[in-house]
Amino acid sequence: MKLGIDIGGTFTDFVLFDNDSNQLYFAKTLTTYPDPTVGIFNGVKEIETKYGFQVKNMSGIVHGTTLVTNAVIERKGAKTAFITTKGFEDVLEIGREMRYDIYDIFLTMPKPLVPRNLRMGVAERVDTHGNILEPINTEALKDLAKTLKDNGIEAVGVCLLNSFANTSHEKALGDFLSENVPDIYYSLSSEIMPEIREYERSSATAMNAYVQPITDKYLKDFETQLRVSGFEGNINIMISSGKLTTIDGARKSPIHLLESGPAGGAMAGVFFGTHLEEENLLCFDMGGTTAKACVIYEGKPEITNHFEAGRVKRFKKGSGLPVRIPVIDLIEIGAGGGSIARVNNIGLLTVGPDSASSTPGPVCYNRGGEDPTVTDADLVLGYLNADYFLGGEMQLSVEAARKAIEIKLANPLGISIEDAAMGIHKIVNENMANAARVHVLEKGMDPRHFNMVGFGGAGPVHAFGVAKLLNVRRLIIPVGAGVTSALGFLVSPVASEKIHSFIDELDSLDWNEVNTFLSDMEEDGYQFLNQSGIHKKDAIVERIVEMRYAGQGHEITIELPEGELGTDSISEIERRFKKEYEFRYNRSIEGMALEMVTWRVVVQGPIPEMNVKQFSTTASDVEAYKGKRKVYFEETGYLDCPVYDRYALKPNEKFDGPAIIEETESTTVIGINSTVQVDKDKNIIIDLHQ
Amino acid sequence: MQVTQTKFDPIALSILWSRLISIVDEAGTTLQRTSFSTVTRESNDFAVVLMDKKGRSIAQSSVSVPSFLGVLPMLTKALLKDYFPEDTWKDGDVVMTNDPWLCAGHKPDIGIVSPIFYQKKLIGFIGTIAHSPDMGGVLWGAGSRDLYEEGLMVPPTKLISEGTPNDTLFNILEHNVRAADQTVGDIRAQIAANDQGIKSLMKLMEENHLDDLQDLADAVINASEKAMREALLEAPDGSYTYEYDTDGDGRGNKCHFEITVNIKGDEIHADYTGTSGAHPLSINAVLNYTYAYTAYPIKCTFSPDVPNNDGSFYPIKVTAPKGCLVNAQKPSPLGARNITGNMLHSVVFGALAKAVPKQVQADCGSACWCIVLNGEDKGKEFVEYFFLNGGYGARPNMDGEHVLSFPTNVANVPIEVLETDIAVLVTEKSLVPNSGGQGEFRGGLGQRFSFKNVGENPLNISLLTEKTQTPAKGILLGEDGQMGSMEIIPKRDFPPKGLDKLHPGEELILTLPGGGGYGDPSKRDKSLIEEDKALGYIN
Repeated sequence: MKLGIDIGGTFTDFVLFDNDSNQLYFAKTLTTYPDPTVGIFNGVKEIETKYGFQVKNMSGIVHGTTLVTNAVIERKGAKTAFITTKGFEDVLEIGREMRYDIYDIFLTMPKPLVPRNLRMGVAERVDTHGNILEPINTEALKDLAKTLKDNGIEAVGVCLLNSFANTSHEKALGDFLSENVPDIYYSLSSEIMPEIREYERSSATAMNAYVQPITDKYLKDFETQLRVSGFEGNINIMISSGKLTTIDGARKSPIHLLESGPAGGAMAGVFFGTHLEEENLLCFDMGGTTAKACVIYEGKPEITNHFEAGRVKRFKKGSGLPVRIPVIDLIEIGAGGGSIARVNNIGLLTVGPDSASSTPGPVCYNRGGEDPTVTDADLVLGYLNADYFLGGEMQLSVEAARKAIEIKLANPLGISIEDAAMGIHKIVNENMANAARVHVLEKGMDPRHFNMVGFGGAGPVHAFGVAKLLNVRRLIIPVGAGVTSALGFLVSPVASEKIHSFIDELDSLDWNEVNTFLSDMEEDGYQFLNQSGIHKKDAIVERIVEMRYAGQGHEITIELPEGELGTDSISEIERRFKKEYEFRYNRSIEGMALEMVTWRVVVQGPIPEMNVKQFSTTASDVEAYKGKRKVYFEETGYLDCPVYDRYALKPNEKFDGPAIIEETESTTVIGINSTVQVDKDKNIIIDLHQ
Repeated sequence: MQVTQTKFDPIALSILWSRLISIVDEAGTTLQRTSFSTVTRESNDFAVVLMDKKGRSIAQSSVSVPSFLGVLPMLTKALLKDYFPEDTWKDGDVVMTNDPWLCAGHKPDIGIVSPIFYQKKLIGFIGTIAHSPDMGGVLWGAGSRDLYEEGLMVPPTKLISEGTPNDTLFNILEHNVRAADQTVGDIRAQIAANDQGIKSLMKLMEENHLDDLQDLADAVINASEKAMREALLEAPDGSYTYEYDTDGDGRGNKCHFEITVNIKGDEIHADYTGTSGAHPLSINAVLNYTYAYTAYPIKCTFSPDVPNNDGSFYPIKVTAPKGCLVNAQKPSPLGARNITGNMLHSVVFGALAKAVPKQVQADCGSACWCIVLNGEDKGKEFVEYFFLNGGYGARPNMDGEHVLSFPTNVANVPIEVLETDIAVLVTEKSLVPNSGGQGEFRGGLGQRFSFKNVGENPLNISLLTEKTQTPAKGILLGEDGQMGSMEIIPKRDFPPKGLDKLHPGEELILTLPGGGGYGDPSKRDKSLIEEDKALGYIN
């Protein structure tokens, strides 16, 4: 029996899988502040009373949280100092010197997480090949320890120039810190992100230090409380790459938790894909303020190491702090139920990226919101049921929504309220489809070859429209669409990912050295898995190199051939590189040397099996068909559209679109010219006839 | 002004417009990922523009060099008018030129334009300009004595004809430039970017059942034009002047700028009469380039939110006396014309501060300094570029950012990448305290960047510095920023702009200027002063 717990901004979601009955159970509680563990234990209690499962009987718990992300966005991390090579203390503040918006002279750049007065330089220098030019003298650092203490520093980030090539100076500093200021947390860049490019590495290291004390305290509390309530199983933490780490792993590298929620969603996509025999899937997740999309290709999520946290201008690439950690490659755009619609200064209707959030919220919430939002449009169009929002917990006002759309949009544009509402719905769909299309194309793939899975509170409302724009044939709205991330936690593998920077041309590599560090990294991985009770023989090893044409600055990822590598591996590596390069850029270059840059070894445990017999436990004799209501579709205007109760749908039930399917956390909107098929597990499968 | 009614309702137009922008951005990503030179791959010195069949820009890459964005449509219009009329283009053609008067004002900037055919009909063009690492001649910078020393000039020529590469031209290029792998590799990356853009546009056409681009082009161009005109209408009519000096050669032969900006109704005219004549150093700017860098701050001031295209430029007129510093004629050398172009925002904002003081910023610690190093390593020749930026000017409601690129938009090359590529050791990169001009809002700080030749051979170096003799000006009572300086150790004479060698063991210490302040320093909030002290921005 395993429990997945996902703490989001508003709700904490729970998914329990009982492997005796092979059944899934869901729960949802409000996230509690300032101590989110209160909310967790509220949920644990609810599961106990509602379903009769006790936490002490569970074999494993997998957890993910927005704690780290929020600490960065809200700047609520620890008092952090930063140590670097003397003369380079300002690298963290100077960044890459480039603007993210070329016409906005009022732009601001993100402030560094460590202010200038807490950045300290030490005399030392290593060159780019790892040679020591100036040895570090830890004897001369006594003042440093005092400065840290006097300033009440809680955490220190250490990033020395070229430490990716030689870690010894950083290690010496680490030893010095643990000896002299044992109460202060420290993060070394050579452990956090051993890759070339000093600003990006500094940024990741400073961020790790910045969030470490609060994450550490939180995870300690979380673990202690679970143990007190009698839980004896494994605790794993979801990380951004869609893998699981241990509590210790998470405490050491908390920045890996940055995207744990969205990664859970993507892994749920992988799970449903396997379950429904869809190897290539586009996951589409839409909530209150953002929408996310990611690609699952051949049953695996795409991983990237380009990621930014805490953007100062919403969703604007380049306006955040870079963190080069492996992250499931998700695009995130400012399109959610709360996204605000406006007529801009050139008379065009635009939607987002700013959001009315949950307070004041959309106009129809009647909580003081005045700007029409996507949710208001969806209500006016009849997609949402004013009397059955969140299962009827919240009454929505159609009248208020219509009025706001009329005054703010329809009148200035000289169009009807319905046309304006449809405009909002279409634009937000188009924005999401656009972003998803670019995302897929950037990978050299064609969105038309993908089917789609839609979830999140607003996902099922918009998924059909987005799927249509992307020429997707088949759309899946899975069971548990409101708690997908927590579900994904339960189907993610435990894994260790080791990174090593070793830059050299393919033809002149020292293969002995390569084989040595690769097998060391692999061995580390086995040991890590062992802590979660996973045996070496069950581990899957993936060895990856990031390489490029010598002279380029952007690498592409290639899987290395198995076994011992040597000169006879060159032609195979070359072939794999060329294939991938051509796939992405439609060309390759003859006679150009290849260069290896970063090596990664992922050692992962098996993907937990979850042979779900029944996804939904709410059996019902009631007829799913609830009647008809007026719903507006672009092609037809208002028509009488059949409405179904999701919980009463029978396996293998089949009907034609248009249709509305209602459940507590969401509503599935199905347009005309489509067929709906409920599968044996009650997932909704929609054929779009395109 | 009345906008022509289009076939697109406000919703359809909003949708298609954002799609066009994502197409060029995607092409830009391809260019960056497949290029070889640090100047393109690390510093982003490039742009991509989608144009209609008349060469009018419709959409441009978001994070790019503003001058290139302005120049590409001018280049394409010139190609259509004087070189390749509309009916001579064939599917699969690619035209290349680096003619400074047609393209971006100096030879290293290579323009690559591809026609876009849909259903066998020419519907538009996509073009890229990228700063190539080398075009032959003397090492790029201000060191050339005339245009011919600045290397190879390729007049508009088909680099690819209906899919067949012009091997002769590729061959000539390969034999005339340093580090040919990089230059030719970058040209191929530009072609790849154009191809990517064409591919994505095809999808848009198909999916939206469009036959050609004309209606859509008219609609977005008209909308941008309307926005610019409406914003200009709100500014007070009048004639606004400003005068400004820059370093020139950095040894006393300064440049002088004069501008008169006339705002009348919904149009604006900038005239440079009074500006100094052609300079003996290669810092002269052609009118295309001057136009682009004059229109750019005007766009930032009046219509920053509306996506840019040809329409934004229609209300803007720029004139300059023939043969002067900002309207250079043959055979004036042009290599480092960016030093001049990157100053024009200071003059334009200075004049506009008198009309719309809340919409402008103080002078930045620009132009960005450029360093080009060339030599041989293990028998292989290299050309390595890197850029350094000064402090950003203060704004009407906030301080200037430290060390940020303006008006161009180039990133630095990471220290570790630089040291991997060539035998230099960077000895310092830091903010320069007190370098921001004081004011109600303070200018951003400049930076110090020092490096040493740790190799066995001398490095050829081309250096471009600015504001070592003239400061970034404060505006509306704001104080000037601190000037920059340069020093070589062991001490000797070194040209502030031009060519020299950096010998093994020699260290170059570059201190970049801070940005100008905005408003009366006595009005500065006390808490901001305290914060500046605590952080060591001032002492």
